[in-house]
Amino acid sequence: MLSLLIGIPLLGSIWIGLIPERAGKSIHRRLALGFGWVLFGLSAGLLLAFDPHLGSLQLAETMAWIPQLGLVYELGVDGISLPLVVMTGLLVLMAIWASGQVERPRLYYSLVLMLAAAVAGAFLAQNLLLFFLFYEVELIPLYLLIAIWGGPQRTYAATKFLIYTALSGILLLIGFFGLSWLSDAHSFTYTVLQAHPLPLVQQTLLLVPILLGLAIKIPLVPFHTWLPDAHVEASTPISVLLAGLLLKLGTYGLLRFGLQLLPDAWEQAGPWLAGWAVVNVLYGSLDALVQQDMKKLVAYSSIAHMGYILLATAAATPLSLVGSVFQMVSHGLISALLFLLVGAVYTNTGTRDLRLLQGLLNPERGLPLIGSLMVLGVMASGGTPGMVGFIAEFTIFRGSFPVFPLQTLLCMMGTGLTAAYFLLMVNRVFFGRLSEVATAMSRQQVRERLPAVVLATLVVVLGLQPAWATHWIEPTTADLAKSVALSAAATEGVVGKLTCFMACDSS
Amino acid sequence: MTFTLPRDGSSLPLSHFFLAGLDPLDQVRISPILQRLEAGGALLPDSQIHRLEVIGILHSYGEVLDAYSRNLIFIADHQFLELFPAFKYFNGEITLGKWLRYLWHDRINYEFAEYCMKAMLWHGGGGLDRYLDTPEFVQRAKAAIRAKIRFNPFLQGLGILFPDFALEQVRMLAMYSGLGQFWRVMSDIFLSLSKRSETEPHLTIPEVVAHIQQGLVAAAGKPIAYAPCIWGRRYEIIPLSAGLTFLPDTAIPYVEAVFFRSFPFMGTVSYNAQAGQIPHEQADFAYGALYADPLPVGSAGIPPTLLMQDMMRHLPPRLREHYRRSPRGEEDLRVKICLSFQKAMFCVTTAALRALAPFPLETQDPQQQKANREFLTPWLQRLAGSRLLSMQEVFGM
Repeated sequence: MLSLLIGIPLLGSIWIGLIPERAGKSIHRRLALGFGWVLFGLSAGLLLAFDPHLGSLQLAETMAWIPQLGLVYELGVDGISLPLVVMTGLLVLMAIWASGQVERPRLYYSLVLMLAAAVAGAFLAQNLLLFFLFYEVELIPLYLLIAIWGGPQRTYAATKFLIYTALSGILLLIGFFGLSWLSDAHSFTYTVLQAHPLPLVQQTLLLVPILLGLAIKIPLVPFHTWLPDAHVEASTPISVLLAGLLLKLGTYGLLRFGLQLLPDAWEQAGPWLAGWAVVNVLYGSLDALVQQDMKKLVAYSSIAHMGYILLATAAATPLSLVGSVFQMVSHGLISALLFLLVGAVYTNTGTRDLRLLQGLLNPERGLPLIGSLMVLGVMASGGTPGMVGFIAEFTIFRGSFPVFPLQTLLCMMGTGLTAAYFLLMVNRVFFGRLSEVATAMSRQQVRERLPAVVLATLVVVLGLQPAWATHWIEPTTADLAKSVALSAAATEGVVGKLTCFMACDSS
Repeated sequence: MTFTLPRDGSSLPLSHFFLAGLDPLDQVRISPILQRLEAGGALLPDSQIHRLEVIGILHSYGEVLDAYSRNLIFIADHQFLELFPAFKYFNGEITLGKWLRYLWHDRINYEFAEYCMKAMLWHGGGGLDRYLDTPEFVQRAKAAIRAKIRFNPFLQGLGILFPDFALEQVRMLAMYSGLGQFWRVMSDIFLSLSKRSETEPHLTIPEVVAHIQQGLVAAAGKPIAYAPCIWGRRYEIIPLSAGLTFLPDTAIPYVEAVFFRSFPFMGTVSYNAQAGQIPHEQADFAYGALYADPLPVGSAGIPPTLLMQDMMRHLPPRLREHYRRSPRGEEDLRVKICLSFQKAMFCVTTAALRALAPFPLETQDPQQQKANREFLTPWLQRLAGSRLLSMQEVFGM
């Protein structure tokens, strides 16, 4: 079943790629939508096949591929990857839906589906080399999607993205090879490597390249500069995929490789990582405060929100780990929603400049639905109770505070700043008298708004009923936290850590 | 280099016409409007689209004014000192079906007419307002009040506690009647224009203005009177002998109150009050129909009014089709109606100015031109801050 999640979009990519442009104006889009629905259906179907009571790997598939290299086709899903795979299915469908009529649809939809296959593969891979393969494959379609369908500075942004992410891949590969070579097992399989932990020094040495590689992908300050450029130049659906899925490859890597495979080094680096999280949150938020481009503002907001995930992963308590995975889901939904809405503003007004836009909430001539959803989206991003962002951030802060009280408090300031920069944006763009640039907007079709409505609904539903998401996550993160605590205790003989774990677990 | 203005302005080229108090940019923008007025045109430029909008919206406005007028007169005559006039919008026809439609809000927004009446009452001006403060009115009103409350101990008690309460109510009812009579005339003018446009499909904006002007002039001396029937006897509260007439005593105060000072766009005053923009002098208010921004501002701004909603029901098919073809289709219908309404009201204002000007505005006599300019100057100064300048585009919507 898991192979289908990679195979179906890949098949779609090839199929669409084979249909010539002259075959029809909308055939590529219709096919892509069809494959998007199938992918979403399959990913949602995982929820039925997956046993939420088990924290272990499920639905595993294994096949030898190039045994000489240690490359084994190993797939599996657990509580960390399951929500991300389901979100992949959802956001790919939303991105295709939101794409509308594009130039060169054959190539465009083919690349989007190839990207979907690569991202799903990376989340499902249970082998370091297989993960790396998918991680690198994802670069090509995304580079082309920005470079061909992007804004005026698309070549610059796409090249920057390519260089940064390729460097990230090289660093990860160094770390992965090191993990395999230094381990007794000489394997690239996650479970095998987890069963053969390395000494602290070796773990620390390997954590550096892996962490740097992931820091570029997430991105963490100061490796973040490719992201605002890529977002600003990418078209709306690609920004949705970029923020909703691609960044999550980095944060997923923190849990999977940093915490799971290098627990002792991770535990040692914890305070530094929490400090880094604070820098990320505050720097991203302060940068967002001074942006004049709506898309750049949302991009910096994304950087800030990645800091919360780093904080939670650094704390590594059962609650904070649930929060970190939930924040990935929350940020995926909210940022995708915000990028869709910013895209709608841009499509209708021709600008994203906060100095030019005003009064778009105007019920008669503005974008009242877009404005209302934007208010909802920024409230969710700012952590307003009743929405998914609140649950994610509250869980992270509650779970991280016992371990890193100061860092957690500083990160909490970020939620205040989030409210500040988003309220400034909403106030400027949506309130007041409708600006002249927006008075001649044409009528909107409701179906064009449906992706945003779907995402907004999920933001509220999961905010009111978070257990519908967390009960898939919790057993795995609890097991992970337990194994990390046990490993740390075994290495250092520190009873305190276990005590803390027990305290956090009981809370 | 020095430039000396001729004392009588007779040899001054039109482009150099100077309106005191206006900044140079507005001078430049007002100048062509003045030239157009003196060439027989209107405040609104003539164009195919303007003709379609103005004639169409005046048809719709005429229909709505007809309903408003009937209801105002009904309230004045038949709801006299009714403390709980629950069915005042039913015009005496109380049926279950009508009540259900009322609850479902499938009805004319008669409240709008009352807002206009209150605007007139509040801003005052004209002979009707002056008459309401005379001893004669007080005496006549008290006689009517005495007759009305003869069998009503509650109202008698209320009269003892608050002696001016009933009197103020009667003043308001007199204004109801005055506005109702004014709108009766205006409705007939607009509906006859609409009918005329069926046989003369190429009516220009100046011809529309001339039609309204003729109607105003014809009705100028029409007497305004008010005599409600109480217990079978008619009480003359505003008798014919008071000498109140249509043009100076209802039309001009109405234009001043509703066109210039405070058209009842809901939210106008509160929004401007919040922004600290309310002038101290009532006469300096500039929130009238000619000034109102048709775009709502958030939830506290100036939404298209109940009037626009009412006019929406009576749009002629051609005008509706014209709106439908615009970028937002029918989504912003009320804004479009409001814009067209403002264009039409500039035509009505032109007709009023022409009717009140000392000489025909097209005169070539320099002395008459000078007198006309002296008459027009304060009006154009006031209109410089209105929507007039933004209405000069011939295609704008």
